[in-house]
Amino acid sequence: MPEEERKDMPTSVLKNDITKPNVRTTTFTIDGRERPANLAGETCTCAVIHSENFSLHYGSKAGVQNITMDIYPCSVTAIIGPSGCGKSTFLRSINRMNDLIPHVHTEGKLLVDGHDIYDKHTNLVNLRQQVGMVFQKPNPFPKSIFDNVAYGPSLQGVRNKGELQNVVEQSLRAAALWEEVKDDLKKSALALSGGQQQRLCIARALATKPRVLLMDEPCSALDPIATGRIEDLMHQLQSTYTIVIVTHNMQQAARVSERAAFFCLGELIEYDWTSKIFSNPAKKETEDYVTGRFG
Amino acid sequence: MKLRFRGQLDRVFTIATGLSVVLLTLVLLAILGPMVYRGSSAVFFQGTVEFRKMQKNLFGRGDEQALHAEVAETEKVRQQVYEMIDAFKKGVDVEALSEQVRQIHRQFGQDLRDRNLPAGEYTRLRELTRQIRDKLEAAFRSQDINEIKRLVGEVLKDESNPQLKGTSAEKLFAIARQFLQAAGQIDLGKHQEYALALQEAEGILFHSEALPGLLGPRPGEPPAPLVMLRYGATRWDQAQTLLDRFLWVEHWVEEKPGEPLVLQRKPRAELFPEPLRPLFTYVEQNAGKMLHPRRTVYWQFLRDDNVNSHYFGGIGPEILGTMLITVVGMLFVIPLGIISAAYLVECASDGWTMRIIRMGINTLAGVPSIVFGLFGLAFFVLFLFPLLGFAPRPCILAASMTLAVLTLPVMIRASEEAIRSVPATYKEGSLALGASRFHTFIAVTFPAALPGILTGVILSLSRIAGETAPILFTGAVSLGAVPRSLFDPTRTLSYGSYDMAVGDRLGMMVPHNQYGMVVTLVLLILILNGAAIMLRTRVFKKLRGH
Ligand SMILES: Nc1ncnc2c1ncn2[C@@H]1O[C@H](COP(=O)(O)OP(=O)(O)OP(=O)(O)O)[C@@H](O)[C@H]1O
Ligand SMILES: [Mg+2]
Repeated sequence: MPEEERKDMPTSVLKNDITKPNVRTTTFTIDGRERPANLAGETCTCAVIHSENFSLHYGSKAGVQNITMDIYPCSVTAIIGPSGCGKSTFLRSINRMNDLIPHVHTEGKLLVDGHDIYDKHTNLVNLRQQVGMVFQKPNPFPKSIFDNVAYGPSLQGVRNKGELQNVVEQSLRAAALWEEVKDDLKKSALALSGGQQQRLCIARALATKPRVLLMDEPCSALDPIATGRIEDLMHQLQSTYTIVIVTHNMQQAARVSERAAFFCLGELIEYDWTSKIFSNPAKKETEDYVTGRFG
Repeated sequence: MKLRFRGQLDRVFTIATGLSVVLLTLVLLAILGPMVYRGSSAVFFQGTVEFRKMQKNLFGRGDEQALHAEVAETEKVRQQVYEMIDAFKKGVDVEALSEQVRQIHRQFGQDLRDRNLPAGEYTRLRELTRQIRDKLEAAFRSQDINEIKRLVGEVLKDESNPQLKGTSAEKLFAIARQFLQAAGQIDLGKHQEYALALQEAEGILFHSEALPGLLGPRPGEPPAPLVMLRYGATRWDQAQTLLDRFLWVEHWVEEKPGEPLVLQRKPRAELFPEPLRPLFTYVEQNAGKMLHPRRTVYWQFLRDDNVNSHYFGGIGPEILGTMLITVVGMLFVIPLGIISAAYLVECASDGWTMRIIRMGINTLAGVPSIVFGLFGLAFFVLFLFPLLGFAPRPCILAASMTLAVLTLPVMIRASEEAIRSVPATYKEGSLALGASRFHTFIAVTFPAALPGILTGVILSLSRIAGETAPILFTGAVSLGAVPRSLFDPTRTLSYGSYDMAVGDRLGMMVPHNQYGMVVTLVLLILILNGAAIMLRTRVFKKLRGH
């Protein structure tokens, strides 16, 4: 991103203001091609992630190294790669969840909506409200379904009961869970099935109205039906959210994503249209991996 | 083969665990059962009329009219006892008789002076009664029945003297005649012995100088300074013990030289001559009628203050004190423990300072409680209180704070364990939604750790309510007013039990009260724990979503 352009950007970009359309026109491209319009063809209001020579080290051990990639709005981007290659590390870097781990330090730049999130002035609370995360294992809080979903909004200061109910219903509907739980929102979230729990976690993440949704192997603990539901969900959500998903399931990556990034040993090997990655990858490692010849 | 062996092993394991549970239950019952049984007798027992008298006089309970009627009824039966004893005394208690005679003689002198008789007359009558007095005293001292007969006969010759007729001196002849009659029936050589034995028997029957008796003081007697001496046996079990002591004398005899002494019992009646023996059968047969035992539920035991170091009354102030100290102590322990644990888990680095602090906490958990007591005295009472401008004296606040320090390690350890065991994914989930670490702790970690924290609460609660040594110097007293503020010392169940056990022999005389106190303490802790456990179960269920 050119220096002048960043200066023009409003300083409040990390404020949770989803309704205000982001008028910035992005010029990021892969291999010089223009960003395709999103499925619905709407004007996109989502954020963009821009990573420039980003590295993260756990102490002396490298987690990811020199990642340079742009993640485009209103689409699903898949990150694939062998175990231990730093997919989760990169994903968690995007909302700074790695801060919790002692002795982590980063290099390079990671911009979300043009804002360097590793800047020391970054408001972590705002960042995480903008960049929601769904974890590998469903992790609903040991509270009621309602309280789980209302957790984020009430953090943002929504106190009004009716408003909260609204948000909860919307989020649960968005996560395709509403019909199943609408009658017992007071029930503990832990009493739900694994798939329902994961969808609840998605609803919980959606309730804060994020612009980016990070999903780290969200279906690895689920059966095919629940997986199918969540994939459908991603299809629905991608018109309004920027979704980054880490997955080990090649079919899933092929099914849900528009673009795919292949990581190996902490480095970004290849990043292109998903169809290209799976049918005609440029790199040998990628081909070995997607055809199952890898390790 | 191998599979069958495994199956058998499983069965053996099941049986062994089942057996150990049964064994544990039995041991618990064996320990708690008798204690609860004895303790419950503080509330459920056979109360006598003396109990109702005591309740009326000391606590203003009961129906006055009914009590009067009952007392009258029992007094009627008791009357015979008084009479038998008095009759016997007239023959035996020579000291008392001599005193009586001397008294009459003096009174008579006074009467004569009041009548303004001529001088000669006065001297003559005075001389006459003086002779009577001396003769009677000689007769009282004599151990020869013939001499007694002679002396009494000489005295009785003057009975017809018209100048003595109708005067106060006339009583002398009645005494003489009664004495002669009684002397004929007893062994005159044993006056002294009888007198002593009678004094002892009367002590058991009415009351001695220090101990209450079976029936309580005789009507008309000036009230004893000690309240407990003003009533007889208030409980039927107590009455039976006293009755047994009244009917039997126990003494240790050496049957064969060099061998251990043997305890022998013989009827107390045998210590006395024939005329008094019916007294013992009478008392034995009419004890019920003299005391009216009746099933009593004295639930006010849990409310009343005590009288005469727990001889009468209940343990109300002790319960109140225990609750106060426990509640105030928990007010310190719970927040401090949780905050410390949260700090240790969430914020503390793993440096050597933290390691030392952790080690300190663990060591603190093993320090003898008396050390905490002395610490509390030195630090809270003598150092901190004057510094803050409070009077440096033991009080509830100091006791609670000392107990809080004592149980803090337990609370911290339990809470730390609980907070640590909350899955990291909960925390991550909350942080990923933009919550601060503090908010994450309050809204997610703490509720999830609550069951474990409540375990810590249960553990510290039991310790705070039950400990004695730490409050010995910091706030517990064995006697004293009911506390009005946290700056007053208080009585507690734990310290009260200890004090009754070591204080004096009173504790042994009222074991029901002693056990009642201990059992109340146990029950109080059980109830508090039960409440905490129920709360924990509810929280747990809610967390689990049932
Ligand atoms: N907390 C940590 N402390 C130290 N090293 C870590 C930590 N987390 C991850 N690593 C290391 O960083 C590297 C990348 O880990 P990461 O979890 O990102 O892999 P991944 O691609 O998500 O693997 P998987 O597919 O198994 O989830 C690994 O070599 C791992 O050992
Ligand atoms: Mg991973």
